[in-house]
Amino acid sequence: MPYEADDRLIKRLLGGEQRAFTELVKTYQSPMRAVAYAIVGASHADEIVQDAWLAVVRNLAKFEGRASLKTWLLTITANTAKSKLRQIKREVSLDSLPGGHDFNPDQRYAEDGHWSKPPQNWEQDTPEALLSQQELRECLDKTLASLNEVQKSVLMLRERQGLELDEICNLLDISASNVRVLLHRARLKVFATLEHFEETGQC
Amino acid sequence: MLTCKELAEQASLYLDKDLGFGEQLSVRVHLLMCRHCRRFIHQLRLSQAVIREYPEPLDTQLDELAKQLAERHKQP
Repeated sequence: MPYEADDRLIKRLLGGEQRAFTELVKTYQSPMRAVAYAIVGASHADEIVQDAWLAVVRNLAKFEGRASLKTWLLTITANTAKSKLRQIKREVSLDSLPGGHDFNPDQRYAEDGHWSKPPQNWEQDTPEALLSQQELRECLDKTLASLNEVQKSVLMLRERQGLELDEICNLLDISASNVRVLLHRARLKVFATLEHFEETGQC
Repeated sequence: MLTCKELAEQASLYLDKDLGFGEQLSVRVHLLMCRHCRRFIHQLRLSQAVIREYPEPLDTQLDELAKQLAERHKQP
């Protein structure tokens, strides 16, 4: 049985244990929201997640453990979102919104491809030290807000949820090359934000 | 020989272990020789960790949602 922990949780859920539902919701609300957000956008994401939860509860007994619980939940969310999308039709753009910092290769490398402006040492050199700075967290909020919906979801699903790139492609219906481009640009934006803050102390 | 600029373009693929054997090797050899790129990759990893550990606003409504779902589950 490859997903023993999932199996145990499902049994508790089927048994109607309140604490199991709390555990389920707290663990999976965030990745489900990221998927919904990527597909239908901010204005419909919460509604989709609600609908997806109801579908999950209706279908609990049908969970067969062929995939992980997380994959199953995210697939239900993606399907719920996609059927909604047919009603609201929305163009998915790969462009970032204005705002936040960019890593601009033209300003960083000489013509021969070597660094002209190499990265400098950062005073804060651990995630904890970086995140302990309130102002930096505000800068990061701005940068994350400047990512488009799909890009932000790709970043969250990859970095926070540890989903494989293939899994993200399937859930969000985007190509393998698109998901890589989106992820790379998003990472560079986060890097550029941290770098700018470490160098100037400002957003 | 990989340039620093090309290394940056492949950085995400490198971090995701998504490069072929030869390409992965080129990146590693470059990193052995180039401290700027070593620092760049180090700081990119740090950026990843920052996103991973970024505190998420606690959703106070989740307890209520869980309760509703448990209730609904009980109904036939």
